[in-house]
Amino acid sequence: MRASLTRPLVLYPVSIVLGLGVWEALARVIPKALFAPPSAVLGRLAAMTADGSLPAALLGSVQHMLVGYLLAVLLAIPVGIIVGRSTAIATAVEPILNAVYAIPPVAFAPFFVIWFGLYFEARVALVFAMCFFEILINVLQGVRNIDRGLLDAARSLDLTGFALYRKVVIPAASPFIFTGLRVGIGRAVNAMITAELFFSAVYLGQMLKTSSNAFDIASTFAVILVVSLFGLACQEAMRLAERFVIPWHHESTA
Amino acid sequence: MSRGKAWALRLAGIAVFVLAWEIAGRIFGDALFAPFSAVIAGFPATVRDYHLFAELAGSLRQLLLGYLLGCIVGIVLGIMMGRSALLDGLLQPWVSMMFVTSIASLVPLFIITFGFGLMFRVAIVFMAAVWYVLLVTYHGARSVSPDLLQTARAFESSRVQTFFKVMLPALYPYILVGMRIGLAHAIRAMVIAEMYVIVGFGGVVYNAGVEISTVSLLGALLTIMLVGVALNEALKWFAQRTAPWYSERQQLSN
Repeated sequence: MRASLTRPLVLYPVSIVLGLGVWEALARVIPKALFAPPSAVLGRLAAMTADGSLPAALLGSVQHMLVGYLLAVLLAIPVGIIVGRSTAIATAVEPILNAVYAIPPVAFAPFFVIWFGLYFEARVALVFAMCFFEILINVLQGVRNIDRGLLDAARSLDLTGFALYRKVVIPAASPFIFTGLRVGIGRAVNAMITAELFFSAVYLGQMLKTSSNAFDIASTFAVILVVSLFGLACQEAMRLAERFVIPWHHESTA
Repeated sequence: MSRGKAWALRLAGIAVFVLAWEIAGRIFGDALFAPFSAVIAGFPATVRDYHLFAELAGSLRQLLLGYLLGCIVGIVLGIMMGRSALLDGLLQPWVSMMFVTSIASLVPLFIITFGFGLMFRVAIVFMAAVWYVLLVTYHGARSVSPDLLQTARAFESSRVQTFFKVMLPALYPYILVGMRIGLAHAIRAMVIAEMYVIVGFGGVVYNAGVEISTVSLLGALLTIMLVGVALNEALKWFAQRTAPWYSERQQLSN
């Protein structure tokens, strides 16, 4: 009885309703200039969707996010596989990778302004910078962790060159590759809005800036909510893709 | 691979990286990408002109406050959610939502709520660190072996005793991993918040970024890189010292 009551299917809707209740109650206490109730946020969300401004902004934002993400994926996967296949190269590259990874990606923003200006190219560059290392590190780990027995078996079957990668290395590393793709797309969505706030303000970033400058808290919340939900949706889509492409890997970790 | 050979490879990797930086810098020039030698030669001037170390120390003090608050809340909530199916179900949807929320998107909102001062930066760093600490602690709390807890019960240890003598030691490695991941995100969030309002270390990066020469900008990036690596290594060292049973293999990627 108790166990059935604590199932996610039962509790999650309860959680959402309770949370919205607490949020609404808080909004009655906190001054309107600082906080907005969920009813007002949903109202703004509906209005901004109805007049087309929100879908248009999201569509604009998605462009640089997708281009930056795809560039990062296309580069990180082959580099990760090549570096990961050689213990010597992986050892030599590791300290550099850790060091560059320790630099907050947004600190590269001034460079992107110098190199690419304030518009599309700079936004793509920041998205790329924020997800490339995340994907690379996961691909690298996946290739490094391939069972030696698998590689020995492949060698005894005279599998070499391209076929070795296509039939053994990539499938064996794919759970890690997919983790990289999933974490990476979450980062890409983060980078998308970061870029719009740090370079010239456009699309969702512009909506966020305009509404917060006008102390329109309900609209500010609405944009933040849209970005978060979009990030969540992208990650879930990746999870589904993973289940579809590599059904043999039952994921147990989050 | 022997330890000596591994170290030789790492040093070679760093040497190749620095050399590539130097050559690229000579080709592109100071305005686009200053060479390593120029950055090192210009570093004393960078430190003096921008009060680099004083700003960095001030930023890190504020970071520490938000980070420690995040760790405490994350650890407590993580344990509670990991051990109670009811709390888990009630909080999980909201925690997942906050986890994907972009820190940059919160910056305009938090400026309205907290102003530009200490509270703002502490709140941003807190929000960046807390969910990572929470999530890793949560997974740790869920995976505490039931055998251990049953043994404790068999020896009639009280709930308080079980918590401090069984749960906490079992959780300790997870907490340390969570704190390490949280710290990396705290530093990123600090730079995002500070670059946005142009104060502290992030302000230095911003101001150095609008200079004609990239010498100071690269000097600042090099500094935050060293700080990030040093803090990360310090936490790793502390983990190995205080929890020798903890193995790096358990490392949970973010």
